[in-house]
Amino acid sequence: MHRLEILFRLAWRNLWRNHRRTLIMLMAVVLGTWAMIFMTALMRGMVTDVVKDGISALPGHVQVHHPDYRDDPSVANLIAVSDADLSARFNAAGFVKWATRVRVPAVITSEYDSRGVTLLGVDPEYERDLTFVDYDSVSGRFLESADDSGIVIGKKLAETLNTKVGKRIVLMSQDPDNDIADRGFRVVGMFEANIKAFEENYVFAGKTTVQKMLRIGDQVSELVVLGGDYRDVEAEYNKTVELIDGSGEVKRWFELDPYLGSMLGVMDGFVLVWIIVIFLALSFGLVNTLVMAVFERVREIGLMLALGMRPINILGQIVVESSLLLAIGLAIGTGLSWASVQPIKDGIDISIVGDGLDMWGMSSVLYPELLLSDVILANVVVLVLGFLASLSPAWRAANYEPIEAITKV
Amino acid sequence: MQRFHEFRGTPLIACALLVTLVAMPLNIAESAQRDATQIVRDAVNHWRGLSSDGVMTMVIHRPDWERSMTMRAWTKGDDRTLVRVLEPRKDRGNGTLTDEDSMWTYSPKVNRVIKIPSSMMGQSWMGSDFSNKDVARMDDIIDQYDHSILSVEEVDGVTVYEIQSIPHEDAAVVWGREVLRISEDHVVLTHKFYDQDDELVKVLTSLEIGEMGGRVIAQRQRMGKVDTPDEWTEIQVVSVDYEVELKDSLFTLSNLRNPRD
Repeated sequence: MHRLEILFRLAWRNLWRNHRRTLIMLMAVVLGTWAMIFMTALMRGMVTDVVKDGISALPGHVQVHHPDYRDDPSVANLIAVSDADLSARFNAAGFVKWATRVRVPAVITSEYDSRGVTLLGVDPEYERDLTFVDYDSVSGRFLESADDSGIVIGKKLAETLNTKVGKRIVLMSQDPDNDIADRGFRVVGMFEANIKAFEENYVFAGKTTVQKMLRIGDQVSELVVLGGDYRDVEAEYNKTVELIDGSGEVKRWFELDPYLGSMLGVMDGFVLVWIIVIFLALSFGLVNTLVMAVFERVREIGLMLALGMRPINILGQIVVESSLLLAIGLAIGTGLSWASVQPIKDGIDISIVGDGLDMWGMSSVLYPELLLSDVILANVVVLVLGFLASLSPAWRAANYEPIEAITKV
Repeated sequence: MQRFHEFRGTPLIACALLVTLVAMPLNIAESAQRDATQIVRDAVNHWRGLSSDGVMTMVIHRPDWERSMTMRAWTKGDDRTLVRVLEPRKDRGNGTLTDEDSMWTYSPKVNRVIKIPSSMMGQSWMGSDFSNKDVARMDDIIDQYDHSILSVEEVDGVTVYEIQSIPHEDAAVVWGREVLRISEDHVVLTHKFYDQDDELVKVLTSLEIGEMGGRVIAQRQRMGKVDTPDEWTEIQVVSVDYEVELKDSLFTLSNLRNPRD
C-alpha cells in the first residue's frame, strides 16, 4: 500500500516536471475524448431520428398482414378476420395504441396531373399520434370519422396536382376482382410531414369509405400496434401473435423494415470503430510522450535501479503516469462533451442541408442523444488501450542495466 | 252528416291544391333536368347508335411533329367497343377492346393482350389527347352528372341546347363542370371541360358536321387543351354504318388477338 502511494506520488510529480509537454498531451486526450463522445451523441441522435420517423411511417412497432401482403400489397391480400372481429379482440388488450387500416396503391388525379400514391383508409380516432401526421397542424381539417367522405393529402402532392383544400380529386384503384374501383373525393385537409417524401406518397381517407370504394366489405389490409419503447417490442409481439391466432402474419418493425432494423446494429458497431480510430491517433501521441519522458530520465532511472528499486516498480511508475494523464484527460473531455450537448439538447436546425438529408429519410432538426453506455465505452476503451500502449515504454525503462544507464551521456 | 262531410271536404281540397301548387315548380325543375339528361343521352346514343361500324382517321398534332392513324371501330350497345389500327403499316393490328369499364390492348409486335390497369386509365390513348378513360367510359357523362339546360338558342334555323353538367360529389371525375352544346338533331357541337376554379381547360369541338350512314353526325372533331393551342387531336370519320348486325364474338379477347373479320 505504502509502495503504491510512493509510486503514485512519483508519477504525479514526474508528470508536472515538464508541464508544457503534459498539457499538450492532455489537450490531445481531452479533444479526442470530446470528439468521441460528442460526435457519437450526434450520430445516435440522427439514427434515432431516422428510426422513429421510419416507425411512424410504418407505422407502429408490430404489424399484422395477410402472409402475401408484403410481397404484393394489393387489395387481394387482406387479413382474413373481419375488422369488427379484430376490434373485439384488440380493444381489450391494453396496447398503448393500435389501429386497423386499408392500405393499397392508388392513383390520384386532378384536372392537371396524376400521381401514384399509397392510399390509407384509416379511422382517425384510432390513428391519432400513431402516424406522422399531427392532426392539429393539418391545414383544413383531418378526417373526422371512418366514414368521412373527404381526403387528406400532403402539401407537396397538392402542389404537384395543382389542387387545394375544398377541391375534388379522383382516386383510382382496383377491387379484388381486378376491376377498376374509383371515386371522387373532396380534399378536406393538407398535412405537412418531417419527411417531404411522405407528403407525396401518402393520402388519408376514411376507412369505411375506402372499403366501400374497393368493395371489400369489412376487411382491412393491416393492423398496427404501438408499444412503449421501440427497442423492446417483445411483449407487444407475443400478445399480438396470441390475439391474431394464426390468421395473419405478425412482424416486428425491424423485420418489416430490415434497413431500419440493421441501422441500429450498424450504429453500435460504428460507435466502437469510431472510438478506436480516434484512439489510434491519440495513442501515437501518448506513446511518444511517454517514450520521451523515459529517454529524458535514463540516468535517473538507472540511479533508482542502482539504489535498489525493483524493475517492476519502475514499470508501475510509468504506467501510473500514463494512466493519470489519461484519467485527467478523460474526465475533462467527458465533462466538456456533456457541457456542449446541453445547449443543443432541444435540437439543432440543419435545414440548410435539409434537401440532402431528406433523401436519407432524415428530418432537418437534429437532436443529439448522449447515452451513458457510449460514455462508458469511450472511457473504458481509452483507459484499457492506453494502459496497453504505455506498457512498451515502461517495459523499456524497467529493463535498463543500472550501470549503463547511469553512465549514459 | 251531409254538412259535416262538406265541412271536412273544404280543407282537404285546399290542402290538395296547396300541395299541387308547391309541387309544380319542383315538377318543372325536375322535368327540365330530365330533359337535359335526355338530350345528353340522345346525343350519346345518336353518336354510337345501337351498333356501328366505321372507319376514322386520327391526327395527333404537336408543335414539332404530326402523325395520323386510320382505324376501324365497331361499337355495340353502351359498353362495347373494338378499335383496330389499319394505317400506318407499322401500327397495323394494334387494337383496343372495351367492355363495360374494362379495357384491353393488343399489339401484334409483342403478341400480348394487356389489360389496362386502373393506374393507366388516366393516361393518353395511343398517344393522343384522349385518355384511356375518355375512350372506355364515354357513357359516364349520362349518369354520373347532374344536367341542366343553361340556354336554348336558334343557330341557322337549328335549335341548340347549352347544357351544364356537374359531376356528382363522389363521381370519378376531376372536372368542376362541363358544358355541352347539343343541336336538336343530337350532334354535340362543343364539349367544354372546366376545372374547379371554373377555368376552361380543354375543349372538344366539332369542326365539320354532315350526313353519314344515314344520320347527321360530327364528321371532324378536335380535342385540345386551352393553354397549348398548337397541340391537338382530330378525329375525322371516313365512313360509318349504323345499326349493323354485329356478332357478340367480335367483342372478345380472342378476336382482339386473332382478328376474324
